[in-house]
Amino acid sequence: MLSIKNLHASVEGKEILKGINLEIKAGEVHAIMGPNGSGKSTLSQVLAGNDAFEVTEGEITLNGDNLLELETEERAREGIFLAFQYPVEIPGVSNLQFLRTAVNAMRKHHGQDEMNAAEFMKLAKEVSKQVDLDPAFLKRGVNEGFSGGEKKRNEIMQALLLQPKLAILDETDSGLDIDALKVVADGVNALRAQDRAILMVTHYQRLLDHIVPDYVHVLANGQIIKSGGRELALELEEKGYGWLGIRDESTADSGAN
Amino acid sequence: MKAAPTLPTAFLHATGQSLPAPLLALRQEAGTALVDMPLPTRKTENWKYSSRHLSLTDGMALSLPAEGKTGTSLAVPGYKVAFLNGVMLPEASDYPDLKGIHITSFDDLSEDEARRLAGQLDSTLDASAVQMSRLNTARFEDGLLIRLAPDAVLDQPLFIVHEVSADASGSAFPRIFVDAGRNSRITLVEEYISQGDAPVMVNTVTEFLLADGAQVTSVRLNMEGEAVQHIGATGVRQQRSSRFESHCVGFGGHLRRHDLRVRLEGEGAECSLNGVVVTQGKQHYDNHTNIEHVAPHCTSDETYRNIAADKSHAVFNGRIHIHQDAQKSSADMSNKNLLLSTGAEIDTKPELEIYADDVKCAHGATIGQLDKTSLFYLVSRGIGRREANVLLTMAFINELVDRIPVGSVRDTTQARLNQFFDQTFEEA
Repeated sequence: MLSIKNLHASVEGKEILKGINLEIKAGEVHAIMGPNGSGKSTLSQVLAGNDAFEVTEGEITLNGDNLLELETEERAREGIFLAFQYPVEIPGVSNLQFLRTAVNAMRKHHGQDEMNAAEFMKLAKEVSKQVDLDPAFLKRGVNEGFSGGEKKRNEIMQALLLQPKLAILDETDSGLDIDALKVVADGVNALRAQDRAILMVTHYQRLLDHIVPDYVHVLANGQIIKSGGRELALELEEKGYGWLGIRDESTADSGAN
Repeated sequence: MKAAPTLPTAFLHATGQSLPAPLLALRQEAGTALVDMPLPTRKTENWKYSSRHLSLTDGMALSLPAEGKTGTSLAVPGYKVAFLNGVMLPEASDYPDLKGIHITSFDDLSEDEARRLAGQLDSTLDASAVQMSRLNTARFEDGLLIRLAPDAVLDQPLFIVHEVSADASGSAFPRIFVDAGRNSRITLVEEYISQGDAPVMVNTVTEFLLADGAQVTSVRLNMEGEAVQHIGATGVRQQRSSRFESHCVGFGGHLRRHDLRVRLEGEGAECSLNGVVVTQGKQHYDNHTNIEHVAPHCTSDETYRNIAADKSHAVFNGRIHIHQDAQKSSADMSNKNLLLSTGAEIDTKPELEIYADDVKCAHGATIGQLDKTSLFYLVSRGIGRREANVLLTMAFINELVDRIPVGSVRDTTQARLNQFFDQTFEEA
């Protein structure tokens, strides 16, 4: 489904990704782990098409199509979904309006009729229950005044509504207490399907207790230095990143990854 | 030193002699005072951004004829008074004869009524601060007087549609005077529209007197064409526990200028001033507001938003003056501005003068662009660029559009905004 070959990307002239190779097939769940500053978030942003990052070399294809030629919105319509590490607050745009506009943009792209307000409201209420989000949140501004956990649940709700081919979860576990983590994990597990792939980006392995990946990759200094099955995550948990000879820069430049 | 320019003499000739004598006398007096009135220039502080857009040629001085083709006969959900080029059109007007509510064109006033009105006109506006309102007083050819007896309530909004229609340049001088008696209530919509592409000037004055407990809602919608210079002034005086609420929605043109001046003269009076301005192309829009807290325990609340696209220019100047005796005043002013292009310009200036020591006064002004992170978030969900831009721009003014208390005005505003979005945001 997704094929990444020798991907190099920079931000403001500084190279962050230094030759990533990754193959993800439909139905698979992959986890990318790595210390802060290793390039995990950059990879997520590049896949979603954030133009703050410049791809300098390499290729990304989705089902054989060159992803790099597509605008962000076109990628989304082709099935790429990024659950943001820091979901954006947009006061003045109601969550309901935002979600309906997105769902209808997707439906239009696939030649389906747009949903009217009443139909959508019904659907949105069902899905909000699935992620344990009070339907009252639909009326509020997008993520406006939501707690960290509510924002993450709102991201998963969007994924459930948009039914992507590839869902990328960027540090979806960060800032969640154990109950919220469980709700989010249940939402993600509900997304697992034969025709869908999931790419989880995470610093810690605790999310992987709830969403068991098929493959685990370790990203360090812009490259995947080790790949394996789920046991690799457990090994990392036990031995730390130092075991692979990686310096964990979490204290040095947290937030810059 | 070069003397400041004055009005071309052609502006001093008023036409329309059918007004009652006391109003003709008032007009003449104002005309005499105009002879040596200095015109606003770049050095006039309250006109520094706008004076260069003023075009006061001899041709502009002509009065536009009181007949001509009127455009769409706007269907309004309420009562309606139609004016063409500053003169009332009785056949296009439809308003009730209700007890305690007196709606009359200046032309139809009795001598006594006209004398009373002549004593009240200009009482809300300090002519030295709003120079151009004097020109209206010297030149108005008709006008609308609304008197509400104590406790009178107008049950539906009254639309006053001021249309200018011209094949050649000239001016119109719409005038409205509202005298709202004790505990009376009215919602008034002033809608300014135009026909034709001739460069014309619309010079308006609207005045409101609010007696104790009166509640007035004023909606002002500026929808005239590109070639119109609109120079308008609104003056308000409020007595004890009265409430004045205004919603000014304006789309730009060659020149749009509105001065809104409110005096809170009785204890417990409240005003809420809301404004939305949208400009594009090379349009220019200048809002000046002035709130005088004269009496103690009054509240003012002001929210203005400007959106400027292309190479347009928007100006906001908000002054709050809290007089020495106006203890326990509460004043809150917010002005936020959105630049949609690097060629657009917005100038904002909050001016606070506070002479009382026990007051609550807050103000804030910002200028910014659409947030890139928000935009990325929206498009990453498959929403198109154009749609995402529209959502974010609407988010900036939603609150103010929703607050407009007349549904048809909200609809008109939204339709005009959609047109603006079509012209401003391209599909990626």
